[in-house]
Amino acid sequence: MNSEPKNTDAFEPKIVAFVCNWCTYLGADLAGTNRLEYPANVRIIRLPCTGRVDFNLIVKAFEIGADAVLVSGCHPGDCHYTAGNFHARRRWNLFRELLDTVGVDTNRVYFSWISAAEGAKFQSLVTEIVEKTREMGPYEEYQSIVAEA
Amino acid sequence: MSQIVTLEQLKQTLGAKLAAGAKVVAPVLDGEFASFKEIADVEQASFVPRICMQNSIEEFFFPKHETIFTFVRQGNDVVLNDAPDFDVEQIVVGARPCDAAALPVLDPLFAWDYDDRFYQRRRAKSTVVSFACTQSDAHCFCTAVGGSPENTHGADAILFDLGDGSFEVRAITDKGKALFDGKTTESDKVGKACDAPVVNFDVWKIADWIRANFDSPVWEQVSLRCVGCGTCAYVCPTCHCFDIVDEGSYKKGKRVKNWDSCQDAMFTMHASGHNPRDTQGKRQRQRLTHKFVIYPDKFKFYLCTGCGSCSRSCAQMFGVRPCLEALDKEVQ
Amino acid sequence: MENELRNAIRELLEKQEIDVAIGYGRVGVDGAVGAVFVTSPDDVEQIVWNDECRQNLAVHLTRPEVKAFGKIGIVVKPCDARAVVVLANEAQVDLDLLTIIGVVCSGIKRAKPDGTTADEYYAKCETCVQHTPQNVTLVVGDVAEGEALDAKNEQNAATAGNNAKLAKLRAMTVEERFAYWREQFSRCVRCYACRQSCPMCYCNRCVADKNRPTRIDTSASLKGNFAWNILRAFHLAGRCVGCGACASACPAGIELDLLNLTVSDAAKEHFGFVAGTEFGVDPLIGTYADDDKEEFIR
Repeated sequence: MNSEPKNTDAFEPKIVAFVCNWCTYLGADLAGTNRLEYPANVRIIRLPCTGRVDFNLIVKAFEIGADAVLVSGCHPGDCHYTAGNFHARRRWNLFRELLDTVGVDTNRVYFSWISAAEGAKFQSLVTEIVEKTREMGPYEEYQSIVAEA
Repeated sequence: MSQIVTLEQLKQTLGAKLAAGAKVVAPVLDGEFASFKEIADVEQASFVPRICMQNSIEEFFFPKHETIFTFVRQGNDVVLNDAPDFDVEQIVVGARPCDAAALPVLDPLFAWDYDDRFYQRRRAKSTVVSFACTQSDAHCFCTAVGGSPENTHGADAILFDLGDGSFEVRAITDKGKALFDGKTTESDKVGKACDAPVVNFDVWKIADWIRANFDSPVWEQVSLRCVGCGTCAYVCPTCHCFDIVDEGSYKKGKRVKNWDSCQDAMFTMHASGHNPRDTQGKRQRQRLTHKFVIYPDKFKFYLCTGCGSCSRSCAQMFGVRPCLEALDKEVQ
Repeated sequence: MENELRNAIRELLEKQEIDVAIGYGRVGVDGAVGAVFVTSPDDVEQIVWNDECRQNLAVHLTRPEVKAFGKIGIVVKPCDARAVVVLANEAQVDLDLLTIIGVVCSGIKRAKPDGTTADEYYAKCETCVQHTPQNVTLVVGDVAEGEALDAKNEQNAATAGNNAKLAKLRAMTVEERFAYWREQFSRCVRCYACRQSCPMCYCNRCVADKNRPTRIDTSASLKGNFAWNILRAFHLAGRCVGCGACASACPAGIELDLLNLTVSDAAKEHFGFVAGTEFGVDPLIGTYADDDKEEFIR
């Protein structure tokens, strides 16, 4: 491991956001068209629905170097596919507990409902996640198991 | 006259090797589990002859997963970098005689149509010191496959526990002599291994039966309770099947060699979807045939040293010995 | 009780209500107890019942070579009986072809690493409050005795066995927990014995075996081992019955059942769901309620 003191000034968090095509992606788009500025640290991955977000994708995001993960979709009742977000919600209720037991920091995993009209919410949430992650520093713990052959 | 080394002298010898940068592998006790591990300090090890081990010394010659080369994309090129050679001295202490005996069994395989430099380097750099057995249990059947509690096959030196905090050293090879050179004292005490485990089946006859009964329904019957977990293959000192996969991303990654098991249904799954070994009976038949017919035909060794690790760790109470005993009933 | 069990099975075989009985017998080295498949009334003497009957025989129900027998009678402990219920609810077994022979269980002794029997019960048995099998065709054994054991365990179930281990784990900091599993998973050899021994892991092709694309690294490296063990535990969400077959099959002695227990506990806490308690229940994951908890969602 790197024994040098952490230079937090230079650290730019990498945030992976799994967003649904119908709400949060459009919310992010709205933030863009409204010229609402948010940090460029977030990498948006568009999926049809939060119901599609396999829990493996969250693990995978950490494996490839994410410092925090956001999963975001339509508000309950608004799902384009009627119930995808309800399924997702039930899944995350359980998956967070498993991550916590395994020792994955759940402060690095965010879930949200952001509609196509909530560009401002997307802006503020992403800004908050980036700031909090910047404070926590890089997720070296997970990276250390990836580095180990 | 015999040569004696005390436990303290043994620890000092290994401690000096550790200090000189060698890799030392020894039995480590964790609760009721004993396993071979690389140690950083001699005090971590437990120098007591044991027959029940969670792993075998095989993984220090043929690791459970090993990088062959790494690749990285640079512009339009892909740059390959061979994995570095195993380049330190390795001392494996406390091997069971049946662990050590697996090495000469594996040697011809890893030098057959392809020289496996990974295995061969580790083998050349290693000194294996075994403990003569002080006990055997109902799973042991080394005697059936040509072994014994004091078998020195594959060992560079063998230690006999004298029960008074010292061991009688019998150096087998020059490497073994070199390791203990000047560390021993002369004595008239002579070590003795435990009695050989009793076996009442004849592997030779069973092998003949296997040869003649490829399509026998007995295979399905005897292996009905096997769920194909493959634990037997992973704890076996001689099982050596592996899979080669590429891991990583478009930009960089590595090609690795991973242990595999013939008990897994996916092992023989064809790309077409056809699986020639679609039931557990066929997979067990493969395992036994490989161990007692195919391998001896090709390399003159049984692919089994009778250590009994398979049946000790089998949650379904199966393994090579119960299988051989069941087949023996067919031979009669 | 052993005789009662044998008689019941003999009768079922004689009346041809079943073609095979899957039970326990002294089949292993030194008479160790494992599964036996009895097809003739003359062979029922092979069947035993004692505190060494460790395996969850429900794992055999989804295997093609066992299904080929036709009508199956299966001996189940109370925890194993719940596994059969989950299999039925997931349409993996045909109840018309199944006779479930439940035995009243008073706890199962743990196996030591050398395969011999330890003088203590499995941790799961210390907290067990269901010694009498539910949802079975017939019950063999003394139900009153089972109920007495339930009452005895109920007093300390929350603080004993695996619950105690889990509480200890939860008391750690998140970094300590990560370090704990890091050590445990470093021993994983990726043999998938946990998967093969689990009655719920019946997929013909496990996601871990898929390679177009590869979902999780197949290497027994820490990266692959974390991904695999998280995956395995979560695929059992709302399905694990806590039989502990995974942990007892693990050659590396990893405490896999604690991961499953975490998810089962969460299912109970958040949704009041316990797997395998009744037939005809929809799977927990795969259904939803309008008012599921969401206080963690922003």
